[in-house]
Amino acid sequence: MSKGKGFWARLEDVPREVLYAILLIVFIIPMLNPMGFPVPISDAAKKWYATIDALPAGSAIMIDFGYSGGGEPELGPMAAAVYHHIFRKGGLKPITMSTSIDGTLLWDKVIAEVNPEKYGRKYGVDYIHIGYIAGTETAMAAVGKDLRATTNTDYHGASLDQFPIMQGIKDASSFKLLICYTTGGDQSEGWVRQWNTPYKTPYLCSVIAMMVPTMLPYQKAGQIVSLLAGAQAGEMELLVGMPARGIKSADVITLTHLLVFAFVVLGNIAHYGRKASERARGG
Amino acid sequence: MFVAAVLVMVDYFLKIPGTGPAVVQLQNWGIILTAFTLGFGAVNLFYLHTRHISRRTPGQWPFSIWILVMIVVTAVIGVATGATGKQYSWWYNSTYFALSATVYSSLGFYMTTGCYRALRARNVEAALLLVVGAIALLRNAPAIAVGVPIIIPMEAWLSAVPTTSAQRGIMIGAALGAIALGVRTMIGRETGFLGRLTEAERRGGT
Repeated sequence: MSKGKGFWARLEDVPREVLYAILLIVFIIPMLNPMGFPVPISDAAKKWYATIDALPAGSAIMIDFGYSGGGEPELGPMAAAVYHHIFRKGGLKPITMSTSIDGTLLWDKVIAEVNPEKYGRKYGVDYIHIGYIAGTETAMAAVGKDLRATTNTDYHGASLDQFPIMQGIKDASSFKLLICYTTGGDQSEGWVRQWNTPYKTPYLCSVIAMMVPTMLPYQKAGQIVSLLAGAQAGEMELLVGMPARGIKSADVITLTHLLVFAFVVLGNIAHYGRKASERARGG
Repeated sequence: MFVAAVLVMVDYFLKIPGTGPAVVQLQNWGIILTAFTLGFGAVNLFYLHTRHISRRTPGQWPFSIWILVMIVVTAVIGVATGATGKQYSWWYNSTYFALSATVYSSLGFYMTTGCYRALRARNVEAALLLVVGAIALLRNAPAIAVGVPIIIPMEAWLSAVPTTSAQRGIMIGAALGAIALGVRTMIGRETGFLGRLTEAERRGGT
């Protein structure tokens, strides 16, 4: 701020550090003291829940942990809530792979959070991870065509043949549903091209919020059954009845969005205030 | 290359019996090559950063030492304990995961100052952007959507009509470009991916 600037000009040009500090305070308060703001459950979340609920017993679900560490705070809670639903319902076969290199490690985090043993679910019998498969779309296409020809071990390197959950699983036709959590367009769009289009596998997709506009055309075309931003994890937690990180984030999102809206209003007031004062001075 | 590309395309669109096993082989080669490039990337990082260290590139070489140390430590832990071992998992969570989430989260701060300075009704177009931005902002705040339900159908229309139609235009344009690039690659006119010069570059252009 240069000396001699008027009030409006100074307000218009507030140092970013001040804005950062206010945002940080507004961010921290609900993290420490969750406020329990209401969370509306969208039609997309209800559709997602209903799609899993409608699966008959014995249905295999292909799940792609296609996100990286940066997206975990948003997509991790969503993945955890969906696992709670799958494990509580029972009788389903969630088979996970990762098209992201750190997907296996992030899957470990989610599984530790969900604790499948609580539902009586066992690794290899009720759920499994077949590991990171490089190549993104090539990996999706190869697994869809012949899973065993692409990988014959789980993520620990143990033979898939020894796991009861893998019996009868051959290719994309063995799966009744596909779920993808991702921070990348290659994954979210790749599954449409490599599984939904050729094999008509119903597809549920959860992406980081900024990717939603990119994926909307696929949902409108019916290629994605339900599209959710990871930030909507709170809605899924409410549906599943397991409030956790997602609900906590919902409070933060509400307050920070309100703050940004207030900043936008203030910025415009400052802009027009400065223009008015310049006109008054004959500038 | 042409034969491989045609085989994969024919199998995708026409499902001719007998092509499946060959296509699976090709796809598995692709997966192996991609995995190989990860190792190749690590070698390339070593090559690049050892040059920075040996030349003492100002403002860079200490970070080059740091990245090489981290690569070596991560590789040693991974090889010694397994890529799904507890020690490797702890190392990943304590380093890359924490940093990655922090860098991504810091975008929120940039966006906040960006909104404060850029979303101003300076003219009609900017005012339009401001209104649309405000609706999207408020709709995506869960509690506000409950308190002001009128913004839900407003945002739904914005998403379903202008956003989706604009996105479709972008996607169709990109797809047409990808088809053109694919055909050029198949017939050997596009060799940039092999590290070769394009025709324009050979003629002295860029």
